[in-house]
Amino acid sequence: MNMNKKPMALMTMIAGVGALIAAGSLMGTAAIAAEKKADTPDPMLIVKGAKAWKENCGRCHNLRSPKELTDEEWDTSVAHMRTRANLAAKDARAIRAFLQSSN
Amino acid sequence: MKNKLRITSALVAGLLGTIPTVAMAAQTSPSAAEVNQALLERIAKLEAELGDLRALVQQSVTKAKDAEETANNAQKTAESVQKTAKSAKKLVTNIIKKSEAGSDIQWHLVGYANAGFVASSRPGPDSFVTGKFNPAFHFKYKDFFLYESELELTTSADGETNLELEYSKFNIFLNDYATLVIGKYLSPIGQFQERLHPTWINKIQTAPAGFGHDGIQPGSDTGVQLRGAIPMGDTRFTYAVALGNGPRTNIEGGVITSGMGRDDNSNKSFGGRIGFFPVPYLEVGGSYLTAKVDGYASGPAAGHEGISGITSLATGPSDATYELWGFDAAYTKGPLHGRFEYLSSTRDVLFTITDSSPTGELLPQLGMEAWYGQISYRLSSISSSTALQKLEPVIRYGEFRITGQDELSAESSQNRFNLGMNYWVAPTIVTKFGLEWRDYQDLGVEDDTRYQFQISYGF
Repeated sequence: MNMNKKPMALMTMIAGVGALIAAGSLMGTAAIAAEKKADTPDPMLIVKGAKAWKENCGRCHNLRSPKELTDEEWDTSVAHMRTRANLAAKDARAIRAFLQSSN
Repeated sequence: MKNKLRITSALVAGLLGTIPTVAMAAQTSPSAAEVNQALLERIAKLEAELGDLRALVQQSVTKAKDAEETANNAQKTAESVQKTAKSAKKLVTNIIKKSEAGSDIQWHLVGYANAGFVASSRPGPDSFVTGKFNPAFHFKYKDFFLYESELELTTSADGETNLELEYSKFNIFLNDYATLVIGKYLSPIGQFQERLHPTWINKIQTAPAGFGHDGIQPGSDTGVQLRGAIPMGDTRFTYAVALGNGPRTNIEGGVITSGMGRDDNSNKSFGGRIGFFPVPYLEVGGSYLTAKVDGYASGPAAGHEGISGITSLATGPSDATYELWGFDAAYTKGPLHGRFEYLSSTRDVLFTITDSSPTGELLPQLGMEAWYGQISYRLSSISSSTALQKLEPVIRYGEFRITGQDELSAESSQNRFNLGMNYWVAPTIVTKFGLEWRDYQDLGVEDDTRYQFQISYGF
């Protein structure tokens, strides 16, 4: 993709990234609201989290004990794994709820 | 005390009341005066005793008043302490509220390290190896922003400490289905580099042939990525699309696929990976990457300035298309993990300056192909012995082929077979014992059998 030969491609790329960031700033609010819902422990969410934890986290490495980390550390760690392993957001929220309720 | 006083008073009164009788009786006794004198003395003694008792009572009353005053003071002090405690509690509550407002930023230090020993059938000393130490930092802001970075510290054979930035990226969680990544990131091409290369996760001491440094699989890139997952019932579809600086050529005409701090030309790479889970325990994926790489217009000492776009009939193209594609599969259910990855790349013909040709030469197409299959099984469910449950046998076979550059091919084209036994001290601490056979494809290159030990800790 030669940007010198294709200025339109460069402009498209910049516009695309800009649009993504702008969209993100809007959608981010919704995402935060969705994340905040997980702050209230839901028994069903925890059950789903236990299942998702077993299926997803064990895909690449051994399962870590929930007791290894604090709530805040699990929060950050799950956010890291959400992007590293392409976890579905709903699975990441459920896994976080399970780990934070089990540590 | 008051009762005692009353009794004593009654006693004195009683004695006084008996005086007339005693006096009358004294008329008949031998010495009435003596009796009276004795009685008077006794009365005086009793009066003295009564006085003492009164003083004692007075003293007790004073003490009681003092005690009451002390009790009152204690009560006041307790009330004061209670008020102070309430104030302190309020203060702490306010501090907590303020700290909670400031806890939008959370961070976490993780990473891994390893060390080991390698003995080789080739000439040369067997050696302990320092391995590497990879601390990683995660900084999260609220629920939509995550910065993460990983360093890699190693010690060279000559004792020098090397420090590399594995990745440094900003993740912006746009919504449930998309995350924007900006910075230097691990390449999303294939699975091994992005997910499996940490030594506490990799089941074998080394990477599969072609999937480590200087292999076909890109290690990292610098640019932007859009990635995420879309749930589909019980399964999900995953994607990662990246626009980065892309690979560049080295002075031998090979292709370097580790992320550069800056691009050497205006050609950007475009690629990524899509994945799908037909069933929860099976993941299949496909990867693709395309880019342009430039030849060298000058030696490396003068810096790598690309000569993209200059095509001469006399010399040939000074930039070349680089394409990489592949697919992967992973079946991971309980103690059984099976993996397979395949990658193939081509770099078209390229005119460039090389070490052997300072005036430039036309290099033929460079092709690379690598694959591996790996199976591991944790003996956790076949024995009641705790020691046996921690064992995990693993087997891996892979091939790496290079065409179009003889020197590179001689150095790297090989079949590689690994046999290992892992002992998991803890879920993130592993000791690995293994054999590695490297069957080099160039007839002039001696094959290599390696005995390898490694201990690794993910923290």
